[in-house]
Amino acid sequence: MNGADFINCRANRNSVWVGNEILPVLPVNIRYMISALPGPILDSVEEIRIRQGKPLVLGLSLGDIFVSQEGKPTRQAVEAYHVTAVDMENLIDLISGSSLYALEEELRTGFITLPGGHRAGITGRAVLDGGKVRTLKNLSCCNLRVSREVAGAASGLLPHIVNKRNGGIYHTILVSPPRCGKTTILRDIIRQISSGVPDLLYPGLTVGLVDERSEIAGCYKGVPQRDVGIRTDVLDGCPKAEGMMMLLRSMGPQVIAADEIGRREDVDAMEEVLNAGVKILLTAHGSSLAELAERPVLSRLIRSKMIERYVILGRSRGAGTVENIVDGKTFRAVGVRK
Amino acid sequence: MIKLLGAAMVVASSGIGGMTMAGRYSRRPRELKSLGYALQMLETEISYGANHMKVALEQVADRCDQAVAPLFGRAAAELSSAAGITAAAAWENSLCAYYRESALNSQDLIILRSLGSSLGISDRADQIKHLNLAMEQIKSENAKAEDEAARNVKLWNHLGFLGGLLIVLILY
Repeated sequence: MNGADFINCRANRNSVWVGNEILPVLPVNIRYMISALPGPILDSVEEIRIRQGKPLVLGLSLGDIFVSQEGKPTRQAVEAYHVTAVDMENLIDLISGSSLYALEEELRTGFITLPGGHRAGITGRAVLDGGKVRTLKNLSCCNLRVSREVAGAASGLLPHIVNKRNGGIYHTILVSPPRCGKTTILRDIIRQISSGVPDLLYPGLTVGLVDERSEIAGCYKGVPQRDVGIRTDVLDGCPKAEGMMMLLRSMGPQVIAADEIGRREDVDAMEEVLNAGVKILLTAHGSSLAELAERPVLSRLIRSKMIERYVILGRSRGAGTVENIVDGKTFRAVGVRK
Repeated sequence: MIKLLGAAMVVASSGIGGMTMAGRYSRRPRELKSLGYALQMLETEISYGANHMKVALEQVADRCDQAVAPLFGRAAAELSSAAGITAAAAWENSLCAYYRESALNSQDLIILRSLGSSLGISDRADQIKHLNLAMEQIKSENAKAEDEAARNVKLWNHLGFLGGLLIVLILY
């Protein structure tokens, strides 16, 4: 039985693994170990951490576990399979589609987006050029983050960001630390506001999505592989600041969405959009509004009171928990729908 | 009459044997030349197109000489399969199948095998270095192959028929 047969025979176990998205990028031996894990564990895998010379770790929604050579979950690091240099070489080769030369920009940013919107974070030795990172070499650690499409993940949140008076949405920023379901919630909000929500008598809006890292729509050759709604135009792989302006000029969106803003040029472009009568839907890293306000670029935006809703996400009841929703003008909580 | 027919058959078969050997000597430089051009295309796909290896191999297979196209086409097909194999493994599998059908010798195989082990695993500059090295080696092998062809093609063509005639004369 070769690698492909193995994947196919497990095809009905779990949607993320079926699309042949994650398993094919793992070296054959690790592929077998992961495939041999019990279904409930596979279902809750959020990330696979592969570090050279260190135990193979799975990040689950309820904490980390190690994987033994026989593909059994264990809490003891000594029983775990230890990743070898050959595993690491094969992993990088497979993740890059044997095209590391074509991914210099991705290596500079430290991650590679895989088909289906999954993300492989990579670290190694940085190669500098004029004080800036040119690329990475001696790659030794990889974090494969599993992207999941959860239809309805944002249903509870939607009534708080839909503006019933004008049929639009509030200018909204989803704020959360990594691994709290920010991208999953954003994708579902985009899907629902784009396709419309019959329960809310919401007809649907034209959404322009700047998917810089191909994580939200998971585009393949420019066509979204994830459901991002019927009225969504996706600008794939484009820098956010430039993409927002391009969409504004060319596609006549009612809402512009993007993931993980934080650079000065992102905020500059966002202000252009805000003043052009288009609603924005964005995400940013942070665990609270106070923390967000500590970031110089974003504090300017918060002080300007142009954003109408800050949705704070956390993991208190699992990934994607809405911890708080704050009105951007009064900075008061407007209620939490969990 | 039967003797005459037998003699003709001996001369013909010996002649064909000689031509086959001569054909092998004349095919190798042609294949090496085509291979050199194909690797040059691959270098362009990698350095300027920055195309992914699968696409680069497909493009080369579509555009290169038919004599060497199967090597690139099969490697691209293996990379496209759901098996999740590396470019080195796909190249090796394709090379094994191609080598059996080609006129290449063991030295050529070593060059191509060595190139395969480095395909796609480093940055652009490094990939270009590996491809250039392989192209230089193939060029050198091609020069040798042309010399050999010049010496051996005529030799084997004549040797086949003359050898056949010699056998006939001895048997008579």
